[in-house]
Amino acid sequence: MADLIKNPVDGIKPEIEDRTSTKTEERETEMAPPAAGSSIHRSGSRPQLDLSGAAIQGNFEERDPTILLPNQSDDISHLALDIGGSLIKLVYFSRHENKSAEDKRKRSMKQRFGISNGNRRSYPILGGRLHFVKFETAKINECLDFIKSKQLHCGGMVARCWPTDALSNENVVVKATGGGAYKFTDLFKDRLGVSLDKEDEMDCLVAGANFLLKAIRHEAFTHMEGQKEFVQIDQNDLFPYLLVNIGSGVSMIKVDGDGKFERVSGTNVGGGTYWGLGKLLTQCKSFDELLELSQRGDNRTIDMLVGDIYGGMDYSKIGLSASTIASSFGKTISENKELEDYRPEDISLSLLRMISYNIGQIAYLNALRFGLKRIFFGGFFIRGHAYTMDTISFAVQFWSKGDAKAMFLRHEGFLGALGAFMSYEKHGLDDVMVHQLVERFPMGAPYVGGKIHGPPLGDLNEKISWMEKFVQKGTEIIAPVPMIPPGTTGLGGFEVPLSRGDTLRSDASSLNVGVLHLVPTLDVFPLLADSKMYEPNTIDLSDHGELEYWLTVLSEHLPDLVDKAVASEGGTDDAKRRGDAFSRAFSAHLARLMEEPAAYGKLGLANLLELREECLREFQFNDAYRSIKQRENEASLAVLPDLLMELDSMSEEDKLFTLIEGVLAANIFDWGSRACVDLYHKGTIIEIYRMSRKKMQRPWRVDDFDMFKERMLGLSGKKPPPHKRALLFVDNSGADVVLGMLPLARELLRRGTEVVLVANSLPALNDVTAMELPDIVAEAAKNCDILRRAAEAGGLLVDAMINVQESSKEELPSVPLMVVENGCGSPCIDLRQVSSEVAAAAKDADLVILEGMGRAIHTNFNAKFKCDALKLAMVKNQRLAEKLLKGNIYDCVCRFEPAS
Amino acid sequence: MIQAAAFHFVLLTSEGKGTLIKLVYFSRKDSSLESVGNGVQVEEVGLVTSSKKYPILDGKLHFAKFQTSKINECLDFIESKLLHGSCCSHQEISDKKQLLIKATGGGAYKYADLFREKFGIRLDKEDEMDSLVAGANFLLKLRICAVPREAFTYMEGQKDFVQIDASDLFPYLLVSIGSGVSMIKVDGDGKFELVSGTSLGGGTLLGMGMLLTNCQSFDEFLELSHKGDNRNIDMLVRDIYGVTGYSKLGLSATTIASSFGKVSFDNKELKDYKKEDLARSLLRMISNNVAQIAYMNAGHGQLKRIIFGGFFTRGHEYIMETISDGVQYWSKGKAKAMFLRHEGFLGALGAFKSYEKHGLGSLMGHHLTEQSPVASPR
Repeated sequence: MADLIKNPVDGIKPEIEDRTSTKTEERETEMAPPAAGSSIHRSGSRPQLDLSGAAIQGNFEERDPTILLPNQSDDISHLALDIGGSLIKLVYFSRHENKSAEDKRKRSMKQRFGISNGNRRSYPILGGRLHFVKFETAKINECLDFIKSKQLHCGGMVARCWPTDALSNENVVVKATGGGAYKFTDLFKDRLGVSLDKEDEMDCLVAGANFLLKAIRHEAFTHMEGQKEFVQIDQNDLFPYLLVNIGSGVSMIKVDGDGKFERVSGTNVGGGTYWGLGKLLTQCKSFDELLELSQRGDNRTIDMLVGDIYGGMDYSKIGLSASTIASSFGKTISENKELEDYRPEDISLSLLRMISYNIGQIAYLNALRFGLKRIFFGGFFIRGHAYTMDTISFAVQFWSKGDAKAMFLRHEGFLGALGAFMSYEKHGLDDVMVHQLVERFPMGAPYVGGKIHGPPLGDLNEKISWMEKFVQKGTEIIAPVPMIPPGTTGLGGFEVPLSRGDTLRSDASSLNVGVLHLVPTLDVFPLLADSKMYEPNTIDLSDHGELEYWLTVLSEHLPDLVDKAVASEGGTDDAKRRGDAFSRAFSAHLARLMEEPAAYGKLGLANLLELREECLREFQFNDAYRSIKQRENEASLAVLPDLLMELDSMSEEDKLFTLIEGVLAANIFDWGSRACVDLYHKGTIIEIYRMSRKKMQRPWRVDDFDMFKERMLGLSGKKPPPHKRALLFVDNSGADVVLGMLPLARELLRRGTEVVLVANSLPALNDVTAMELPDIVAEAAKNCDILRRAAEAGGLLVDAMINVQESSKEELPSVPLMVVENGCGSPCIDLRQVSSEVAAAAKDADLVILEGMGRAIHTNFNAKFKCDALKLAMVKNQRLAEKLLKGNIYDCVCRFEPAS
Repeated sequence: MIQAAAFHFVLLTSEGKGTLIKLVYFSRKDSSLESVGNGVQVEEVGLVTSSKKYPILDGKLHFAKFQTSKINECLDFIESKLLHGSCCSHQEISDKKQLLIKATGGGAYKYADLFREKFGIRLDKEDEMDSLVAGANFLLKLRICAVPREAFTYMEGQKDFVQIDASDLFPYLLVSIGSGVSMIKVDGDGKFELVSGTSLGGGTLLGMGMLLTNCQSFDEFLELSHKGDNRNIDMLVRDIYGVTGYSKLGLSATTIASSFGKVSFDNKELKDYKKEDLARSLLRMISNNVAQIAYMNAGHGQLKRIIFGGFFTRGHEYIMETISDGVQYWSKGKAKAMFLRHEGFLGALGAFKSYEKHGLGSLMGHHLTEQSPVASPR
């Protein structure tokens, strides 16, 4: 349930879950303060703040949401299964339903941006979340219980009349694939009253793979010598490819397009062979145990190597090194040694290498035969196991002489289930675009790495007590995802990785699969010069030193953050408990990343910072800095009139300079920066601002001010036309926005440029949110006509306290000042995934101003735009200043890039 | 009297215990094999017919193999042969301290010191791959008494000799199944390339077979496999998709979906399975895999012939049959596996051929006849 809070645009509690919610969940709802609302829609009582997703949501409101389910009477479920011999994989979708009413201001905003229900493309899908869960087939009852408890088997409509009687489920059909779809048909009928509709296995595999490869960024990765590298695949250049599915046996499928594929080959030497022979030769009780054994094995005692044959020498003439395996198990031909004389570890490793190598070789030969560029390996045999992937990769590399590369999929186990899910007609997922999916890694995600666990943790309370249980046990938490919920089988299944540093450990190499949030309202920022080449992150965290540094920064900042968070919730015992749990959970995420940097896919600093915000929200700290923000806003608003007066007395040139300098100086107020947090303890906000301002010495570290000035004021008195519309991506609350960005916005307005303030949808640190901005603007407008008229024109003061409409009649109409939410809740911004409103607002914009370290330095520092772009920030981190700018902490960046 | 000889050392295990020494030697026509030491297997005796036009002498080409553990027997054998004659044909040196014998295979390096120090024989090392190919080319071009007697196919217990037109021989794929498997594309005499291979070979078959069944020899293993039923071990397509198979994908119900796959779902231990079944399943797994990789490397039919050789196929009918089945399956009946009667001696024969000017290179098939061994130990 905590996921709810995450979704910036669609964070409405889904109706389905409302009806089925348990007491705990209701409690949870109460705990979430409405004002701090996890979503902007929820703040319907404050319509002036409710800007989000209007266009899209409007569609849903006006159409029957059940349009998603054209066959309502058939009760199509949002659940699909892949029942394999050893594992059951579940994919299910939980929807969000929009209950918010559209207010007047939103409608006007929509019209202004040219968004109307008619001319915008309609969204065939509702927002929601795609969950991935695994169960052991042997424990199918756990799976049935899980489905029952979540009412997943009740298709859309039925769920609303929960508790359902058996009759209403009579014609419910659940898509299923895998061998067990046949075997367990009766069981599903008896226990859940649903019919399993069997889908062709291969169809499902291919549909699942196609969806993942097209819809998820960095789904595929290569794995060589323990190193994962995520690969960005152009969806227009995906086909044809070879899909190698390693189950008990191996199928090799040539995929030419959606639904277009052919099984071209396969081999009977597959996962079943490894497990079968392994069982016979090592007495292992489980597949995972066998894999585990291989970690400690040495295959040289079992395999005959080229060196064994050629007296330790390479057979270089034909390119065989001494360590190449000449004959798997070749060394076990011995008269006086028996099975017991060999180490099971060695046998397991030798078997693993034999089979992986063989599969890699046959796959390559097939790729060669059909001229396929890419080979994707999936199936239960791989399980994110590093050694297996390495061996397969090596084989492909070896036989192709480096021409071909083996690739793997993060969601590899779920191809079949996802494909079965896709087989529901009109689920709308076909049209999902990459930018509409956001992956989250909540504590409650049921699946971690290659391990299979019980049902996911449902509510907040479970999560907290799970965390506390660990503390009692004195166990170090190294994985962020609970293995087993308390009260079931205890913690027996929890294993601590054995050693650090060994890159070939299976458990650490396994990848987490998060919950896929489908946010149909997200869009690509249209002003990006080249959205395909765009990479938001400036810092590459695949550099281990860099990752380690930032993980340390985050972890050092954690105690202070927890204090703020607990205080923001009134410092109650409950808040303390949650704060504690949050701290542990987030530390666990950090520890996990330290162990396995690729655990969550390709991670940039932006993702890392967002993970923290997500984690806070998960433990229902919806706005840890609420009171700080309020205090700073008030203090800053109090001095704003003086500042504006001072500015108005200056010459054009001085004013522009002072404004930019002011933005940079005010950017010092950043609770995300450790250095700045220290400053806060030393003086008042105004003192710091003054000090900061005094310190500013031109030239700044990056100083394009003169270029910007020329664009604004022109050279030698020739005045260039003002920009038509400027998008200002704002950063922190308090002085930053009030004394920095607002005066700049005011100046732009004064010069006839429309201004759109773009702020976060959800709180992140002390960043100002789109919800808070209208109040701040309204307050500032009390003492400033320019702001007031613009805010009025922009519809920001619809029901604000000041009413000056009558006197304004004689005034000239002002260009509007508007506020839109950016669609995210992170201190950084990935411009590939912004709200549709920002995208719409951008259409007429010819100036983008990015402010603050998160949005202008950590991300987007290198971003190129189609229009003029100004990036303003103060660098409040010594290392970043050194690395990126060869400068020092508190250096300033004023980067102006004319339209490209 | 040995006129010339060549060794092929084939290692079966790294400890050398299972190494085979294959010997090819040539003797003058008049020097019949008076005696063969106990335990020495002289496999075949080829007779080189006399022809005054050729510089070579009439004589016989002998094929023998020894276990390395009985290396002394081998040496005794050679020595006895040498004592009957006076020299090794082209060396013209009677001092056996300087006796030079062509040798190939991994063991040629390993045993070089032993042969020199203990027996005074210098091993002149020939490249193994060169030797294999030379031996195969030699045999394939050979016609004995105008009747094809060398290359054959093996299907359903039926051996069919194949006549290969020497002018239409190349290119072909030579698959040598020793401990591991080498796949060599042969384009002509001395023109070849190692294109592929697999570590799942004879060593895997025997090594794993020994672990699984406790058998002591390859023959015993094959004997077991012959009586087994792999359906108790392997997961067939019908075990997953029922008796109708998965026809959409062209998989028949009896196709093996996963070797040893059934074991992975059983709650049984090694001792609960019949050794015969395990052996059969293993044999099918390896044979099928070799056949598949070979067929793919032959370019899915682009190379005309796939010839399987090497110690592990030699004379073992059940292996030949499963390999043939495999090639049949993967080629959808379009290709057939071929075998060579002298396949175990390709290396030794090739090494032997590397003696310069022995004249064998120009031998034509019709110059050879074949005789049964005079003294066969078996």
